[in-house]
Amino acid sequence: MSEILLKISGLHAGIGDKEILKGIDLEIGRGEIHAIMGPNGAGKSTLSAILTGKPGYEVTAGTIEFMGRDLLEMKPEERAWAGIFLSFQYPIEIPGVTITNFMKTAINSKRKAEGLEPVKGSDFLKLMKEKMALVQMKPEFAKREVNVGFSGGEKKRNEIFQMAMLDPVLAILDETDSGLDVDALKIVADGVNALHTPEKSAIVITHYQKLLEYVRPDAVHVLKAGRIVADGGRELIDKIEKDGFEQF
Amino acid sequence: MASSSSKKVYLAGQEIPSSFVVEAGTSLDVTILVFPGISARIPLTVDLTGPGAEVNLKGLYLSSATDEVTFEITMNHRVGGCTSRQLFNGIASGSAKCAFFGKIIVAPDAQQTEAYQENHNIVLTEEASVNTKPQLEIYADDVKCSHGATVGKLNEDEQFYMRSRGIPEDEAKVLQMISFVAPVLDGIEDEALVQRIEEAIRSLAL
Repeated sequence: MSEILLKISGLHAGIGDKEILKGIDLEIGRGEIHAIMGPNGAGKSTLSAILTGKPGYEVTAGTIEFMGRDLLEMKPEERAWAGIFLSFQYPIEIPGVTITNFMKTAINSKRKAEGLEPVKGSDFLKLMKEKMALVQMKPEFAKREVNVGFSGGEKKRNEIFQMAMLDPVLAILDETDSGLDVDALKIVADGVNALHTPEKSAIVITHYQKLLEYVRPDAVHVLKAGRIVADGGRELIDKIEKDGFEQF
Repeated sequence: MASSSSKKVYLAGQEIPSSFVVEAGTSLDVTILVFPGISARIPLTVDLTGPGAEVNLKGLYLSSATDEVTFEITMNHRVGGCTSRQLFNGIASGSAKCAFFGKIIVAPDAQQTEAYQENHNIVLTEEASVNTKPQLEIYADDVKCSHGATVGKLNEDEQFYMRSRGIPEDEAKVLQMISFVAPVLDGIEDEALVQRIEEAIRSLAL
């Protein structure tokens, strides 16, 4: 068994008085890709919100350990510094802030937290260029305001671009395949695969099996009504495709 | 069109003229800045007296603690064929009280007037308050006039998105506020002044 990167134990969580996750246990080993599949309303997005510390969500029981640290004690920015990245289902528009400024601030914030000097301008531009090429973004992309006026496909490619820039240990892809045509899906999947190494893990949260044809998971979990109701390998994906989520 | 070099920047706390007359074919480009720690009542009347007069009037107020800032602007289109644009953006923190009273008067014969006014505000604390009151008195019928006023908070979804990328909460707020004030600062070439504004914004975020 590889080193455990993320360990979720007995997690109950929700918004206000409404419990959405009703006892989740999950272990992700280093180097592994896990798919979490489930119907609408299963709690998939709540799980990604809890993992990234989104305000407004409340954990009522259970623990989450990330690389031996108590994740629930950490602020969202501290989780990012520790190596967690969420590809948003609905990326947020930030008018007035360019991609360049956004990424530079993000990278330098982490460097500052680690006691390092800000990144050198030339090194930063080189990194931007390299990672933009990975998701087939044109050079003028760097000057655009974050997600403002982006098409659905551009927004998702921007998420993967940011993931490439920040080089996370654990990437959480929340419905990254929703609203993508085949070409955009392929670009996104190629990006995710290019970034995956034996040191890194990913959680692919999805309703459909589309993305999983390109990004091959090591394990599959079915989330339904706030609980994991089935665990298995890729054969689960075929089973869901054939008979849907009602069988669980 | 006025060139950017003719832009005049006034700082509250120093002398600010209370009236301007803009004659035919001339332009006025004025920006008024109010830094934290300054309380001021700023009355300003602009008279457009000849065809082709152009006015670009902007203001930025960054108020904190117990600052009290009030703008009383009168844009007086006395003749037709003139254009005025106003943009006032403010951020209120602490228990600051900010007010913007902006009047546009278009005289009965001032046809083909264009007059625009915008006032946008961000309130950072429960204790801070903003009062915005646009007033249009239009006595001509062939005019283009508009006004818009907003009072809101910093967007929390934007903040979480930035934090999830490793940008600390305070820094995320600074980025949001810098982008909020940017349209007012557009055209100011004094780098030291822009720097001072960014530092003032930073002081509001903490």
